[in-house]
Amino acid sequence: MAEPASDEARRLFREQVLPWLDDAYSLARWLAGAGADAEDIVQDAYLKALKALEHTRVENPRAWLLAIVRTTAYGWLAKNRPAAIVLAGGAEEAEAHAPAASSDASPSPEAALIEAADRARLSAAIEALPIVFREALVLREVNGLSYREIAEATGAPVGTVMSRLARARGLLIAKLGDSQ
Amino acid sequence: MNGAKDEDRLLLNALLDGELDAKGALEIERRVAEDSDLAAERKRISALRGALKLNIPREAAPATLRARLVAASAPGTKPRIVASGWRGYGAAIAATIALTLGADRLALRYGGTNPVLESVVAAHMRAQISGAPTDVASSDRHTVKPWLAAKIPVDSFVVDLASEGYPLLGGRVDIVNGAAAPTLVYKRREHLVSITQLPEHNRNFLQEPRLVTQAGYPVVLWSEAGRVFVVVSDLAPAELRAFSERFREAVEFQQANKPE
Repeated sequence: MAEPASDEARRLFREQVLPWLDDAYSLARWLAGAGADAEDIVQDAYLKALKALEHTRVENPRAWLLAIVRTTAYGWLAKNRPAAIVLAGGAEEAEAHAPAASSDASPSPEAALIEAADRARLSAAIEALPIVFREALVLREVNGLSYREIAEATGAPVGTVMSRLARARGLLIAKLGDSQ
Repeated sequence: MNGAKDEDRLLLNALLDGELDAKGALEIERRVAEDSDLAAERKRISALRGALKLNIPREAAPATLRARLVAASAPGTKPRIVASGWRGYGAAIAATIALTLGADRLALRYGGTNPVLESVVAAHMRAQISGAPTDVASSDRHTVKPWLAAKIPVDSFVVDLASEGYPLLGGRVDIVNGAAAPTLVYKRREHLVSITQLPEHNRNFLQEPRLVTQAGYPVVLWSEAGRVFVVVSDLAPAELRAFSERFREAVEFQQANKPE
């Protein structure tokens, strides 16, 4: 960093931003995979946040931080795994224009089957989700954000958040109910 | 997939996420009652949410990452002292707390260097990083208490909070301000909670719990039953406060039911 952060920025950082470290890590981990990459993304995002705190007052530090983590993760993906982003761009439109989704065509899975899904199957199903659906799901189910906060963190309107979340769950249900 | 069904799906999801107002909730619930497909979808979404909750928790960030970020934001040479309320964590810092600890009558203040808070938080960090947070690992307070009593010549409170969602992991001895102090370790999901008990020598100390931050960690401290309790964790501040309340209640209960 060119200039060391001011005392005030560091104080805000410790009080408002550091407490959400687990949330930040969990989001990065589901966007970029577990391990060193997620750590790098979070560290990078936190340093950006520290810099931004010199001139920004934040109302909802968690959603604000997660927005930075998300942008950082997207930047990292664009550089290291461009395919993930290319797919992401098309996913939503492809979904919108698709005829009946598979969950409607195939017989609907039993709730019990879904409930019994273990960590490995759930992880694989989440990882297979297009990134815009995955991030909406993770922000809701793992981070526990409200629709409004997800909209804030992802820069999408609330209506879009709603439909992404519903699609994400629909895709997971189809996948978990399918491979028996 | 027709439009009306899609709309219902969105509303069903919003209902289960607690995002609908009473009127909206009532309306979709009425439709679920009339439509067995919708009712089945509701069950599936609930089942999915249950499975996710159980298997895909929020993950704890690596301790090394936390340590790097803590170092990057460590206070500079000029300590800041800011007064504020206890509830709003954003600015929740205790101003100079009228507390003195030990013989050196050390004033606890936020932002300056405080050897007591520093050592308590450092011990917690070490416990997290080492993967060995306890010297005696037991969920049974009747094991932990005598173990601590054998090492440290002061009586310590050990309470069982498993039913409150904080199973006891064990105890350890920390060195705080040059003296041995008993520390209990509880667990909340993947998070550790360390609670250290220190001698208290000042009657003027405010008994109510205070929240401060030390090295990026939320710390809650209060005095009770002739000692100071200091709780550290990487839990969210509100959760740490909830833990402190449960612990306090349990200590009060123990005090009230102590045989003469």
